[in-house]
Amino acid sequence: MRWTKLHATMMVERFLIWYWKRRAPVATPQWGWKTSLADNVQQQMNLIMPLADTTGVGKAKAVQMVAANIDELFTGLNNIGTVHSARFDLIGEYLCIITVYDGDHEVYIRDFISVFGSVFDAMIKIVADPPPWPCELYSAEFVKWIGDHEGFQVPYNLTQMFPDEKNLENLSRDLVLLLADNPYVQIGRFSGYPALSTAQIRLAAGIEW
Amino acid sequence: MVRDETPNLADVQGNILRGYRKHLVRHLVLTVLDRRAVGNWLLDVTGRDLTAHQVTNAEPWDEKPSTCLNVAVTPQGLAALGIARSAIETFPTEFVAGMASRATKIGDVGESAPENWKPEWRSPERLHLVVTVHADTEVDREALSREVLAVGGGQAFAVLASLDGAGFPGGKVHFGYRDSIAQPRFIGAREALDRPDRQPLVEIGAALLGYLTPIEDVIFDVPKPEVLGLNGSFNAFRVLEQRVVAFEEFLTDSAETILASPLADQVLPAGIERTWDPPMSRLDAMRELVAAKVLGRWRNGVSVQMSPHTPTPKPPVSEEQLNDFAYREDTDGARCPMGSHVRRCNPRDARIVQRSTNHARRIVRRGIPYGPIYDAAQPDLPDAPERVERGLLGSFIGASLLVQFESILYDWMNLGLLDPRITGTNDVLVGNNDPAFSCFALPVGETTIELRGFSRFTVTRGGAYLFLPSLSAIKHLGQSAA
Repeated sequence: MRWTKLHATMMVERFLIWYWKRRAPVATPQWGWKTSLADNVQQQMNLIMPLADTTGVGKAKAVQMVAANIDELFTGLNNIGTVHSARFDLIGEYLCIITVYDGDHEVYIRDFISVFGSVFDAMIKIVADPPPWPCELYSAEFVKWIGDHEGFQVPYNLTQMFPDEKNLENLSRDLVLLLADNPYVQIGRFSGYPALSTAQIRLAAGIEW
Repeated sequence: MVRDETPNLADVQGNILRGYRKHLVRHLVLTVLDRRAVGNWLLDVTGRDLTAHQVTNAEPWDEKPSTCLNVAVTPQGLAALGIARSAIETFPTEFVAGMASRATKIGDVGESAPENWKPEWRSPERLHLVVTVHADTEVDREALSREVLAVGGGQAFAVLASLDGAGFPGGKVHFGYRDSIAQPRFIGAREALDRPDRQPLVEIGAALLGYLTPIEDVIFDVPKPEVLGLNGSFNAFRVLEQRVVAFEEFLTDSAETILASPLADQVLPAGIERTWDPPMSRLDAMRELVAAKVLGRWRNGVSVQMSPHTPTPKPPVSEEQLNDFAYREDTDGARCPMGSHVRRCNPRDARIVQRSTNHARRIVRRGIPYGPIYDAAQPDLPDAPERVERGLLGSFIGASLLVQFESILYDWMNLGLLDPRITGTNDVLVGNNDPAFSCFALPVGETTIELRGFSRFTVTRGGAYLFLPSLSAIKHLGQSAA
């Protein structure tokens, strides 16, 4: 009985999302450049890549592949120079790379390619919908593919996402529709040292930058 | 396909790989009205009709021609010439999007924002071609311009703008600096080893599509079909107004600030100005020193890295030696500040944050001044009926607008990411400066003097991302249109 009620609710919701996406579609807010320092350092990249093989063996292969290349990855990240942190996570059936970096996203991805394109090529081979490789030769496609696999980042102030929204009651519907198109979401990120670059922190701490 | 061989120079537009060093330039900003007529003209100027002035290629000259002609096209121009949308979409995102859509990224905000650009740059749908005429004389420039505009009985193009530039004596530009001293020296180029330069030679793929680049194993994507993309390049074309009066006032204010500081004699040793050629007053010398430090070169072109305290060292720096320097040993910017224009644009071998990019963003720069030369003895009248505008018609050429031009402007000029000691500051000369935040750090011994409160000295008045097609590609465009 309980299952049936939940099932029915989901069916109705699915229909309503389908209906409202046509009646009042919500565009995913595009990322825009800003000029202040605080908006241009400590950016985030949340790369979420579905595994091609989601069996236990497939997941083990994914973990092994990253682990086997971890030294090269860390060296490359260090050489990029603008990376605050990077995590390589297996979450469910997804291989995730979650990083914080300074500067422009496109440039950052290009730097990724130049410092460890070969590792990325190995990684691409285990995901479900890979771009053409080697990424050094298909850099534009690779940058686009990364964009397509990035988690949506909710702006600092959620209400700023819909500045034209007059009726706050509609916000929840818009949010539901937005999330229907963007299932992977970064809701927030706190920084203990806002508006500082990696190199500025290293310099202040006496670490080679 | 990656090519590591030398490109066929007969297929490459000449303005990419060499400066013509012509006194006069005219950029014709055009809308295609008669596609067929324009297509036939493109075929004529790439070999079909040798009586027509041909597009200038990059082959070595036995004799320098009196005029040169080059063609650049926008995404809208490609469409106007019949190139399919599917092919245009194989061009890089930033080119297809256009310069105006990237304005915030490259610092074109406030006064420099696209909504404030001149009218010819505010209607991208009408901006199709930029045809550039280079000449030594006004007669030749006019004649070749007329030839272009006579295509199709004078009905093929609508002229959105005709932008004239003229070189100043001594290769100087507004702000009084000598320009175009340092350009990338490409591997295999004949003149690559003409002069001493401690920078590595640059892979040709930095300037031409389809070849190895300075970034290991990376090539920039060649738009399809290959005949359209191969041997092409991109040009960030900019109309940059230069506010000379404001800049000169900044020099005076800064010089007075430094002279009032107890560090003044460390910045410029007392009395050294009397050894300059010609000798100068202390104030004038300090003004020149500030001008030199914010650029990284004295106004006569001598690098402050080579000569930190005088523009006229003894023995003199010869013409051939102007690029024979490195920053590696100048770790604290005592000679050439980290925030100077030339060190930001091209950090050479300096230690920088993005360690893999020291030599990866080299671009070709072509520029010519427009507007009257500033004469301090006859300053512009503030209540003149029309404001005197002067500036630079600049072409910033490379195989990737994103990796080269945009990265330099965003990361280095306006964010200062390359060195933590200048992060958060803008380039004095061309940066998006706001008096509330602007700062130039002048290293002096163990400390720095901070020059603050200056405004924008260079304002973008227009521009576009252009594609410089190969001669084969121009023929292809001609066939497509005709």
